[in-house]
Order: sequence, then C-alpha cells, then structure tokens
Amino acid sequence: MTEQDVRSTVLLAGSELAPVVKDLTQEKISRYAGASGDHNPLHTDAEFAARTQFGGVIAHGMLILAYLSEMMTAAFGQAWLSGGTLKIRFRAPARPGDTVTASGRVLQAEGGRTVCAVECRNQRGETLATGEAEVATGGLR
Amino acid sequence: MPPTLEALPKGHEFPPTPLDLLSGWVQEYVSAVEDGAIGGLGEGLVPAMAVAALALRALLDSAKLPPGAIHLGQELAFLRPVHVGERLWVRAQVASRGERQGWILMDIHLNVGDESARPVMTGRATVTMPCPEPQPET
Repeated sequence: MTEQDVRSTVLLAGSELAPVVKDLTQEKISRYAGASGDHNPLHTDAEFAARTQFGGVIAHGMLILAYLSEMMTAAFGQAWLSGGTLKIRFRAPARPGDTVTASGRVLQAEGGRTVCAVECRNQRGETLATGEAEVATGGLR
Repeated sequence: MPPTLEALPKGHEFPPTPLDLLSGWVQEYVSAVEDGAIGGLGEGLVPAMAVAALALRALLDSAKLPPGAIHLGQELAFLRPVHVGERLWVRAQVASRGERQGWILMDIHLNVGDESARPVMTGRATVTMPCPEPQPET
C-alpha cells in the first residue's frame, strides 16, 4: 500500500480534502489549448471573446476539471485512477487573472466507496464548478 | 474538411480513433495543467484527465468545434490506470441533440478502451453552441 493509499483510508465523512490552488493566466490557458487541441477562440482570442456573452476570454472547462482531478489524485492516489468517477456542472467561467481553488469534502465513506462534494471557486468566492466525485476505496481497507 | 459539431445529428457515431499517449504529449499536458500529484504515484502514470482531454482532442479532429461553443457539464469514470506509451481507442456518439432559443444542446458519450478492448474510461460531455446563421437564399 502506498503512502497515498494510506492517506485515503483516514478520510472519514466530514473530512476536507487538501485544496489545489492555481493562478490562471492567459499564457496557461493558451498552453492548455495547445496540449488539448481545443483552440476555440473563446479561450484564446480576446477580441472574439469580448463579443460573446462572457465579455472576455474564459478558461477551458477541462482545465478546471484537471485541478479537481489533481486534488482527488493527491487524496486517493491510484484508487482515483482506477475507480474514480466525476460528475460536474460548470456554473461560471474562470478567467485569466483568477485564482482558482479546487476543494472537496467527504460526504460518505462506507461500503467501500467514498463520495465527495467537490467544487471550484475563484478569489471572489464565486462558484465556477460543482459536483460529486466518488472513489472505490474498499480494497484499501 | 471535417464537419462542425453542430451539423451532427443525434446518433452520429464518430469513427474509432487511436489515442497514443506519447511521452512528449503527456509531459506537455502535465506542464499545462501544473499537475503536482501524478508524479507522486510512480513513474509513467498518466493523469486521469489527460485521457479525457486526449479523447476530446481526437473528436475535435473529426468534427470541428464551432466558435462560441460552451462546455456545460462533464461526467467521467476512470476504470483503470493508464501508462505513458499506451495506445487507446476512443469511440463516441452524439447521444442527444436539441435546439432551443438559438442554441444547440448536445450530449456526447465517450468510451475509451485499450488495444485488448478493455474499458479504460467512459464519459459524457454536455456542450452548447449557437445555431448556425441561416444562409441567404440564392
């Protein structure tokens, strides 16, 4: 059992997951566009994005999910990679200049499953994404 | 020239597409998302979301995302760890498609498997995009 796996065994209902905090910049969003191949101008073209309902460039939803997934990986180790599920609704856009905090709380830890409420917020406390993540942790106990 | 996503009907199946988790690409992805956790699990493991990102990238090669498309929601299930160097296959289908007030709402189901057809990841992406402008009659 790895150190990460040991950590996952002590996450009881009510436990807070260690948050992941990222400072978003246009450079980071553009780098994600390059890696993901998603060059939607909403993410990379300030002039185009200014004419949309968002009034400016926004980050890819999948980039925000990557921060949540990093948090789950840190908390649950390989269990996240081999039995994790994530169900997310995007609530508001993340923008260059935002500080995004991914956080989570264990709702239920029984029957070999750990269910967490997860969310991302910006520095103003606005909710960017909310949802649930579940991990099979039974084999580790 | 690939079609744009908004032109695809409900039931459209994307052609099965290989996903090669090349070391250089995985490094590029980890750097782009600044994933500080995956390295702690041992060498050669790929972040779970990298597989999802690569699967969506493959879809974007076969159907162009229209400008202004918005990602509304995402469901994912990670079924086994994936290692650098693996070849996976993504199969996807337009599961639903509706139009309302000038916007198209679409659900795309994703299934990623390995070379032995073992499932690796499943998912559902919900996206919305503006309806195309009507073309002037000629």
